[in-house]
Amino acid sequence: MLKAMPRELLAHKGRLAMTLLAIALGVAATVASWVAADSVATSLAGTKTRGDVGVAVRAADASTTMSSSTAKRLRGLPGVQRVHEVVVGKAGLIGRDGKLVAATTVLDRAGTNWDDSGRFTLTDGRAPRGPGEIAIGRTEAGKSGLGVGDRTTVLLSDGRARDAVVSGLFDYVSLGPRSGDGADPVPAVAYDRESARALLGERLSRVELVVQSGVDPDAVVRAALGVGYVVSTGSELAAAAAAESDDTARELRETLLPLAAIALLVGMVVIANTFTMLVTQRTRQFALLRAIGAKRRQIRVAVVAEALVLGLVGGTIGTLIGIGLGPVLLAVMRPGDDLGYTVSPVAVLLGYAVAVVVTVVAASGAARRAALVPPMAALRADAVVPKDVLVRRSALGSGLVVAAVVAVVATAGPSEDNLTRIIGLLSALVGAAGVLLLAPALAVLLFRPLLGLARRHGGSAVRLGVRNAARDPRRTAGTATAITVGLGLICAFGLLSATFATLIASTTRANVPAGTTVLQPAAGGASVLSPSELDKVRATPGVSRAAASRDKIVPISYPGGRTERKISAIEPDALGTVLTPTLTAGVADLRRGVVISQNQADMLGLGLGAPITLVPDPRTPINTTIVGIYEATELGASIFYDVALAPAPLRDQLTIIYASGPTARTALGEGFAQRPDVTVTDREGLVAQGIEAQRLAFALLYAMFGVAIVIAVFGVVNTLALSVMERTREIGVLRAIGASRALVKRTIRVESIVISLFGALLGVTLGLAVGAVMQHAMFGQHLWDITVPIGVILTSLTGIVVAAVVAALWPAAKAAKTDVLAAIG
Amino acid sequence: MTTTTAAIRATGLSKVYGSGAARVIALDGIEVRVRRGAFTAIMGPSGSGKSTLLHCLAGLDAPTGGTIWVGDTKITGLSDDELTDLRRDRIGFVFQAFNLVPTLTAAENITLPLDLAGRRPDPQLLDRVVGALGLGHRLDHRPSQLSGGQQQRVACARALITGPDVVFADEPTGALDSRTSRELLGFLRDSVDEAGQTVVMVTHDPVAAVYADRVLLLADGRIVDEVQAPTAETVLDRLKSLERAGA
Ligand SMILES: Nc1ncnc2c1ncn2[C@@H]1O[C@H](COP(=O)(O)OP(=O)(O)OP(=O)(O)O)[C@@H](O)[C@H]1O
Ligand SMILES: [Mg+2]
Repeated sequence: MLKAMPRELLAHKGRLAMTLLAIALGVAATVASWVAADSVATSLAGTKTRGDVGVAVRAADASTTMSSSTAKRLRGLPGVQRVHEVVVGKAGLIGRDGKLVAATTVLDRAGTNWDDSGRFTLTDGRAPRGPGEIAIGRTEAGKSGLGVGDRTTVLLSDGRARDAVVSGLFDYVSLGPRSGDGADPVPAVAYDRESARALLGERLSRVELVVQSGVDPDAVVRAALGVGYVVSTGSELAAAAAAESDDTARELRETLLPLAAIALLVGMVVIANTFTMLVTQRTRQFALLRAIGAKRRQIRVAVVAEALVLGLVGGTIGTLIGIGLGPVLLAVMRPGDDLGYTVSPVAVLLGYAVAVVVTVVAASGAARRAALVPPMAALRADAVVPKDVLVRRSALGSGLVVAAVVAVVATAGPSEDNLTRIIGLLSALVGAAGVLLLAPALAVLLFRPLLGLARRHGGSAVRLGVRNAARDPRRTAGTATAITVGLGLICAFGLLSATFATLIASTTRANVPAGTTVLQPAAGGASVLSPSELDKVRATPGVSRAAASRDKIVPISYPGGRTERKISAIEPDALGTVLTPTLTAGVADLRRGVVISQNQADMLGLGLGAPITLVPDPRTPINTTIVGIYEATELGASIFYDVALAPAPLRDQLTIIYASGPTARTALGEGFAQRPDVTVTDREGLVAQGIEAQRLAFALLYAMFGVAIVIAVFGVVNTLALSVMERTREIGVLRAIGASRALVKRTIRVESIVISLFGALLGVTLGLAVGAVMQHAMFGQHLWDITVPIGVILTSLTGIVVAAVVAALWPAAKAAKTDVLAAIG
Repeated sequence: MTTTTAAIRATGLSKVYGSGAARVIALDGIEVRVRRGAFTAIMGPSGSGKSTLLHCLAGLDAPTGGTIWVGDTKITGLSDDELTDLRRDRIGFVFQAFNLVPTLTAAENITLPLDLAGRRPDPQLLDRVVGALGLGHRLDHRPSQLSGGQQQRVACARALITGPDVVFADEPTGALDSRTSRELLGFLRDSVDEAGQTVVMVTHDPVAAVYADRVLLLADGRIVDEVQAPTAETVLDRLKSLERAGA
C-alpha cells in the first residue's frame, strides 16, 4: 500500500522536481535568514572579549565631566594598578577620492587616543606619534583605499581639518556595547595621547582601571571622586555587549523571518494545490484501494506519508540552498561588515521542521479528500470526485470580506490612534484572506463571461485554452492564488513605497520654501552638526537668515496621558522664514508655546491652549502650551519649541541647518566645498534624498517577494503539467481528429496565461486595497490619498505574462508529444 | 432448504437512486440466497440492476432498504471501517476493467489486500493461485506490460488470495476474447470445484453463464427467474422470453 505512493511520485519526475523546488525555495529563504542572523550574532559576540579591564568609570550624565585631572585622582590609589584615559571626539577620515569615508561609528565619536590598554591590535605599521600621524581602523582602510604611509586629511570639530600620515592600521576590541549609554564605539582614527587631547578635546569619555582583586571598585571611585559616576566592571560590560549582539541578531531575525514566512506561505499554496491535483488524478486508484479493503485512515496516512517524504527531500535541498545563500544575504543586509559565517544546528533543524510541517499541513486537505473517495468511484468511468464544500468556503470568504470592509471603513479616520490603525490593518489582512477563499467563486464568475467571449471571438486555441482554465475553478484558483499572494505583496508595498515617496515630496515641499538652503551631516544616521557650522553659515555673505532644528524623540505628557514624540528645538524666527509650515489654527510663535502638527494634535486630543510637557531631559521638563497647529503628514510631524528652552547639550546637536538669503545656495556651496562632512543641498535635494532612502529600504522586500513569485510560477508549471497528464486522452482525441501540434501548444499557452493573469489581477487589486490601508495605518492619511505604483504594476503584469508563457513551455511540449494511439487506445 | 448458513443472503433488498422526476428504482425487493461453494451467475437486460445488486451484496454500496448477511454477519448497518475490513478479509472482487494499481507489479497487486491488513501472504496459497492462473513468469511486470486477459487473471488472483467467503465478478470477461474468457471462467469454475470457493458473477454472455451452477435472471430490479444447471440454449431462451415480456 505505502509502496505504491513513492513509486507514483517517482513515476513523474518533472512534477516531483517542481513540487520539491516549491518546498525547497521557501525553506531556503528561512534557513538563509536564520544563518544570516546567526552569523551576525556570533561575529558580534566573538569580536569583543576584553579580559584586561577591571572597571570602566564614566560620568553619569552631562552635568559631570571627566578630564585628565579626574584620571589623576584615581591613579596611585591603593588597590588601583593601572589607569587608562579614553578620549572620544569628532574625526572624519577623508578617502583617496576626497570624500568622507563611511566609518563604522558616527563622525562625532570616531576619533580617540591611542594607548596600550588592549583596545587596539596593530595589524600593520606602528602606533601614531604626534599630531601629524594617525592610526586608522582596518575596515576604514579597506573602504578608503588608504594604507600605511599615505597622507590624508582628518576633519575635526568646529570645521577644523588636519593633514596626517597613516602610521598604522588597527583592529579594535570594544569594551561593552557599541551603542547606547556608556557605549564604546569603534573608532576610525587614533592619535597619540597628547595629540588626541589637543585635537579631539580634553573631555574623557571614560577611564579604565585595573584593580587588585578583593578591592571594591565602587568604593574606590566614590572615595576618590564622589558621586555622579557610573562604575561598571568588565564582566558587566561583557554581559551588556553579549546582550546587545543578541538583540542585533534578534532584530535581524525579526526582519528576515516574516519575509521568509511569505515565501513559505506561497510555497504552501503551491504544494497544497499540487497535492489536490495529485489526489484528483488518482481518484480511481484510491477508490480501487478502498474497494479491496483500504480504510480511510490508510489512504489518508499514505498521502500524508507521501507529503512527509517530499518534505524531507525538499527540506534537505532547501536547507543546502539556504546555507549557500546565507553569505549572499549577509552581504546585502550588512554590506562592508567583516562577518564570520556560522551555521548552527538550529538552522538545519528549522529547515527540516519548516519543510515537513509546511508540506504536511499543505497536503492535509488533499489527504482528507483522498480518504473521502467512495469505493464506488473505482467502477465508474467518470470518476465521482468528492466536491469540496465550495459553498461553505465562499460563504466564509464573503463573510470575512464584508467584516473586513466594515472594520476598515470604521477605522479609516486620518486621526485614529495606533491601536485603531492596527485593527484596521489586521482587518485588511483578514479581508485579503477572505478574498483568497473566494477565489474559486470569483474564477467561476469571471470565466463564465470570458468563456462566452472566447466562443464568439476567439480562435480555437483561445477557446480551448479558456475552457480548460474554466473547467476546474478550484484548481485554477488554487494555482492563481499563489501568484495572487506574491503579486499582492509587491503591489501593496509598491503602493506604500510610492505613497511614501509622494508624501516625502509633498511634506518637504510644504514645509521648506524653495529658496531655503539645507545643510546636513554627510555621515547621515545619528550624526549631528555643531554650533560652529551654524556660526559659519550665519557669517557667510549672502545668507540673511539661518536656523537649526535639533530633533530628538523624547517622552511627553499631556492631559490625556504620556507617550513619546519627536520634538524639534528651533530658533523662534525660523518659522515663517526658512521653514513655512501652513498653520490651521493659532500662531507660529514659539516664544509663547509650542506648535504641533494637526494629526498629532488630533491623535493626542489636544487643541489650542492645551497644556503639554516635553521631557528632553528628566531634570528639566518643559511645561508649555499649544499656541499653533500646522498641517502636516505623520512623516514630517514634529512638535516645534523654542531652542532657548532646550537643555544645553541638546542645543549643540544640530540635526539640520536651514538658511535663506539672496545668494545663500551658491555662497554656502562654496563655503563648505572643503567640508566633505557637510552636505549642502536645497528643497529638491532633500526630496530626492528622502525618496532614495525609502527606495533602498524597500529593495530587500521586493527581492523577497520576487522569491515568492518564482515559487508561484513553479505552481503554474505544476498545474499545467498535471492537467496535461490528466487530459492525455482528450488531447489524443483532439490530435486524432485533426488538431495540429502547434494548436495543442497554443492551447496550453493560453491556459497558462489565463490562469496567471487571473491570479495577477486579483493580486494587483488586493495589493492596492491592502496597500491603501497600510499607508493609512502607517502615515495617517486618508484611504484614498494614495499614489498608485503604475510602473510596478505594469512591470509585474508583463513579468507574469512572460512567466506564464515560459511556464507553459514544458507542459506544452509534453502535450504536443501526446501519442495519438496510446491516448485513445 | 439446507440447514447450513448461506454464504450470502439478502431479504427485501431495495435501492433507489435520485428523487422526484429523476427517481430510479434500481432494486425492488430482492430476495436472494447463495449457497456456500456454489457458482452463481446473474443475468438480465442492461439497466436491470445487476451491477447494483452486486455492489450492494459486496458492501461497496449501501442499499436503501433490506438486510444483507455475509455468512453470519449482518452487513447492512456496519460502519465504514467494519465494511472495509469485511471487503478486505472476506470478499474478493473482479471488475470489468481498471482492476489494478498501475504502479505496482503483478505480484504486488495480488498481495495488496494482505498488505493492507498487514499480513504476509501464505506462500503455498500464493504459489497455487499463481500457478493455476499461469502467471508465474509475469509476476514482476507492471499492469501496463500485461495483456487484458493477463490483467484479469491478476485481478482474479488478488480476489482469491485472502481465501474470501465470496468472490464477486462484474462482467469479468466483458473485454476479453472468447478463448481468454474461457480460460478465466474455467479458472473460476476450478476454484469452486477444487477449493469450495463461492462465486457470484454478473454476465451478459450465455456461454459464460454455462460455467455457473445456477443463473438468476433480473428484470427491473426484481429476480424474475432462475435456471439450475444452465446450458447455453436454456439461458438464451429465458433471456429472449424476458426481453419479449419487457418489450
Ligand atoms: N449512480 C446512479 N445514479 C442514478 N441512477 C443509477 C446509478 N447507478 C445506476 N443507476 C440506475 O440504476 C439502474 C440499474 O443500474 P445497473 O448499473 O445496476 O444496471 P446493470 O444491470 O448493471 O446494467 P448493465 O448491464 O448495462 O451494466 C439503471 O436504470 C441505472 O440507470
Ligand atoms: Mg452493470
